[in-house]
Amino acid sequence: MISARTLTMALTVAVTPVAAGAQSMSPMRGEVNSFTDVFAVRVFPANPYDRKIKVEIHVYDQDFQPVDARISPSVFQLGSQASRPVLVVVPFGGATERKVRICTESIPFPNQQTQIRAQICGKFFGHRKS
Amino acid sequence: MKLFRTAAAAVLLVCIDQAAFATTQNVIFNGTITATCTLVIATNGTMTASADLQSLSSHNSGGSAGTVTLTTTGGVSLSVDPVTTTTVPAADVTATTWTPTYSSSGAHTITETGSATAISTPGADLVSVHLAGTKGGSNRFASGNYQATVTLRCE
Repeated sequence: MISARTLTMALTVAVTPVAAGAQSMSPMRGEVNSFTDVFAVRVFPANPYDRKIKVEIHVYDQDFQPVDARISPSVFQLGSQASRPVLVVVPFGGATERKVRICTESIPFPNQQTQIRAQICGKFFGHRKS
Repeated sequence: MKLFRTAAAAVLLVCIDQAAFATTQNVIFNGTITATCTLVIATNGTMTASADLQSLSSHNSGGSAGTVTLTTTGGVSLSVDPVTTTTVPAADVTATTWTPTYSSSGAHTITETGSATAISTPGADLVSVHLAGTKGGSNRFASGNYQATVTLRCE
């Protein structure tokens, strides 16, 4: 119950952009104020290809080390020209502010000799208010 | 006289009505575009071996770069990550140094580099992604299938 309340409070101050088509991820910048020990960001990965692709969402710190964030969903299939919301809840980890990168990653053409992974990263800044 | 007065009143009313229709109102439209970036992979790359078997590269004869279209509003940065995911034949037991690079043509001209490039203006580009594997000393690439993944990042 407490967890649900925490999440709800965090969501009330989350970035809530309007989804846009034909972009790999929006928004790519955001600043979030939260009164709890987590902050939430909603991002919208999009598939600009004319075929379904597998998309993964990862959260990194400023040094590109993985951050233990809750990502819903973290891996999914995205249809052609489609976009969907992904909720990312990032813990402050005892700090009063935290900068993270939320990255949308995909390898649209796997099983080739030299594969290219496209990674679109947004930078988000969470402030913990007391 | 009564008729004249009636006619004058009617003309006055028409004028008043016309004045009312002549007013204008501005309709304001607002739009905000935040920094965005789209990467669309067109082709993956191909690496070929050099004659001395110490280079496996998309720069070598017969090799080809991977191509990616980039569309951005500007205010972003383009970079490649060090290669961490590779598959090599079992016969290849020696170390390989992998060097990813990229270049760009179009709205932004970027000469081939492995470093991050800030893109401040909007536009569309064709990004060429190269990968070169090299072996030092007496080490050589072995026969078999090699596979590597290059991460192209826009942030």
